[in-house]
Amino acid sequence: MNRRTVIKNLALVVGGAVLLPSCIRKDGTSYVQLKHIALDSDQQNLVADVADTIIPKTSTPGAKDLHLPAFVLKMLDDCYNKKDQQSFLAGLAAFNDMVKRKYNQSFSDLSAKDREAVLTGIEVDAAKQMHAPKPQGRRMKPQKNAVQDPVAMFYWTIKQQTIFGYTTSQFFMTKEIFYDMVPGRYIVHYPVKKLKLA
Amino acid sequence: MANLNIDSVKSRTFDAIVIGSGISGGWAAKELTGNGLKTLVLERGRDVKHVKDYPTTNKYPWEFEHHGQLPVAVTEANPIVSRCYAFGEDSQHFFVKDQEHPYVQKKPFDWIRGYQVGGKSLLWARQTQRWSDFDFEGPARDGFAVDWPIRYKDIAPWYSYVEKFAGIAGNKDGIPELPDGEFLPGYPLNDVEVYFSNHLKKNYKNRHVISARCAHLSKPNQIHLDQGRTQCQNRDLCQRGCPFGGYFSSNASTIPWAERSGNMTLRPFSVVESIIYDEKLGKATGVRVVDTNTKQTTEYYARIIFVNAAAINTNLVLLNSTSNRFPNGFGNDSGVLGKYIAFHNYSAHIGAEYDGLKEWTVDGRSPTGGYIPRFRNVYKQETNFLRGYACGFSGYRFQQHKYDGVGSKLKEGLVKGDLSPWYVGSHMMGETIPKESNYVSLDPKLKDDWGVPLLNISVDYDDNDEKMKKDYIEQLTEMFTSAGFKNIQPSTNHQAPGLDIHEMGGARMGKDPKTSILNEWNQVHACKNVFVTDGACMTSTSCQNPSLTYMAITARAANHAVEELKKGNV
Repeated sequence: MNRRTVIKNLALVVGGAVLLPSCIRKDGTSYVQLKHIALDSDQQNLVADVADTIIPKTSTPGAKDLHLPAFVLKMLDDCYNKKDQQSFLAGLAAFNDMVKRKYNQSFSDLSAKDREAVLTGIEVDAAKQMHAPKPQGRRMKPQKNAVQDPVAMFYWTIKQQTIFGYTTSQFFMTKEIFYDMVPGRYIVHYPVKKLKLA
Repeated sequence: MANLNIDSVKSRTFDAIVIGSGISGGWAAKELTGNGLKTLVLERGRDVKHVKDYPTTNKYPWEFEHHGQLPVAVTEANPIVSRCYAFGEDSQHFFVKDQEHPYVQKKPFDWIRGYQVGGKSLLWARQTQRWSDFDFEGPARDGFAVDWPIRYKDIAPWYSYVEKFAGIAGNKDGIPELPDGEFLPGYPLNDVEVYFSNHLKKNYKNRHVISARCAHLSKPNQIHLDQGRTQCQNRDLCQRGCPFGGYFSSNASTIPWAERSGNMTLRPFSVVESIIYDEKLGKATGVRVVDTNTKQTTEYYARIIFVNAAAINTNLVLLNSTSNRFPNGFGNDSGVLGKYIAFHNYSAHIGAEYDGLKEWTVDGRSPTGGYIPRFRNVYKQETNFLRGYACGFSGYRFQQHKYDGVGSKLKEGLVKGDLSPWYVGSHMMGETIPKESNYVSLDPKLKDDWGVPLLNISVDYDDNDEKMKKDYIEQLTEMFTSAGFKNIQPSTNHQAPGLDIHEMGGARMGKDPKTSILNEWNQVHACKNVFVTDGACMTSTSCQNPSLTYMAITARAANHAVEELKKGNV
């Protein structure tokens, strides 16, 4: 076995050690095994907590109830290129630093109110930037426009995919709105008044 | 052994062979089998049975692994096909992946292909506008390409014939440059489309917005029910294959019809390597087929051969069918085979807003939209470029959601929201001029997995296209402005030829064997028992979506072939 093979195998073992345990979370929700991006279980938990702050449980289910964290991770794993994934990881680290600096605690240990404050703070800052990505339409596609600020890039990626997963979830499309897969009609000159806008 | 051989040859001998099962091959199969000919239909891809092989057709968004988005692994491995608007997580299994059948881009060309029974008829945009003599007379009047050997009167009855069977929704609009046909009830224009239509009627001569004719069963007739198809349910998920048979495809319509005749043998996984020419008989006797699974070559024989492999691949088959008689490709005495490839120019778009008609919207979904028939250079040459363009035109509104913030505020914003104003959008569909310099040819060295040379493709825009594009932007901007549309945003792109999926020509029809490959019946001039009736036969492109014309040309040629067989002429 030459040196290069040893290193390769070692990387596999280490990579596997990082990835495999994170497939099952403490609360029993199983996550997709990530193939293209390495996120340890703390990092996956952070993604889940951010997603669950964006879409929390209220009188209706939240992100975790709807297994959206697993979806966000899946999209991150499969639908972002290497460069965007690296930016995401850099943003994740910067996000953790920022929270630590401000609260001397990790995001997951913050109260719900403080978590909300952290995220809306990022949105307020991003709104001041000219090139902050805005979600386009309810069913957003993964956006490829690079955000300068790594924290904002990290946050918007999770927000976009959480909203995308949420608004295309069975719960949302059957309980919150009615997705009419088979309309069987096309009526023009239809009064807006008659529309059932939720 | 001798007997076995004879039996083997007999089992491989048919009255007719059809190469390809897409929108034109399906029609050839239907017409030939319907006239009692034992017909072998060869398809290079797998079989796709109507409904049974539409695995995603009834899936909800959440039932897709990525809720409809394509993974980077797919888009990065397939930059070409990923540029096609219809290529998605729900339809990717009906597209050829970039690596599956490579080709050489001498110039950028996005070759979008569907290798399966039904071909791209599963995926097409289902727009079906007739040609008129303003189109057929184009090359002769304006002095490009060669004169079409047919006119509208030759094809009009065949338009009617295929329209009745396929089911075309449309209105009798009474526009000479876009003849009316045999229509099922047309889909209505919405309020802003009607508004713009009226605006053009009042303020312009010969400019119309009509409901685009489309191959959807708005109200099926008995002939459609007999095919096992039912009314279009306005799902707008056509690229997945329609479980209702609401739109026309070979899979829903012509192929099962041909099958029911008992005269069709369908052989998937069959790449046609070449057409066999018998010098003593002076005609084609069959085809050489490579089985894509076993890589074995087998010969099949027939009295007539229809080449419907889709425009570019039909050129490939003909170019690769060499013999002592045809050293430069099948029927290529003129030297024009593979040349004069043309396409449609889709490289401009314009969008705007309209502030009025706020109290009106639509309910449900339409399978089609508005259509502005060509208004440039119709009755006479009036611009600094040749020919013209048709335009798509559609208006729409949508519920505006709020994405700000997090928590219950965001949850509410995602459900609630006012209706947007009307937005309108148009895209150009421009005729391009066939030129000798736009060609496909066999690569002298590279071969594909089946031992067939790779194609070199060298097709590009020209100055005429640029001028036309500029005119489209100017004219539409002017028409939008005078209609009171606001925030008008023209945009142009540099999409490569091919992405329009309207590639045509290479084996064009013509009166003179010295300058064309096919005669007025789509027979190869120099070998009358070979017929080419897909996009390769097109002498010019006009600007209508071409599939309906392929269907009509195919049905016409197939019925002529049957007559000629009966008379012993082929």
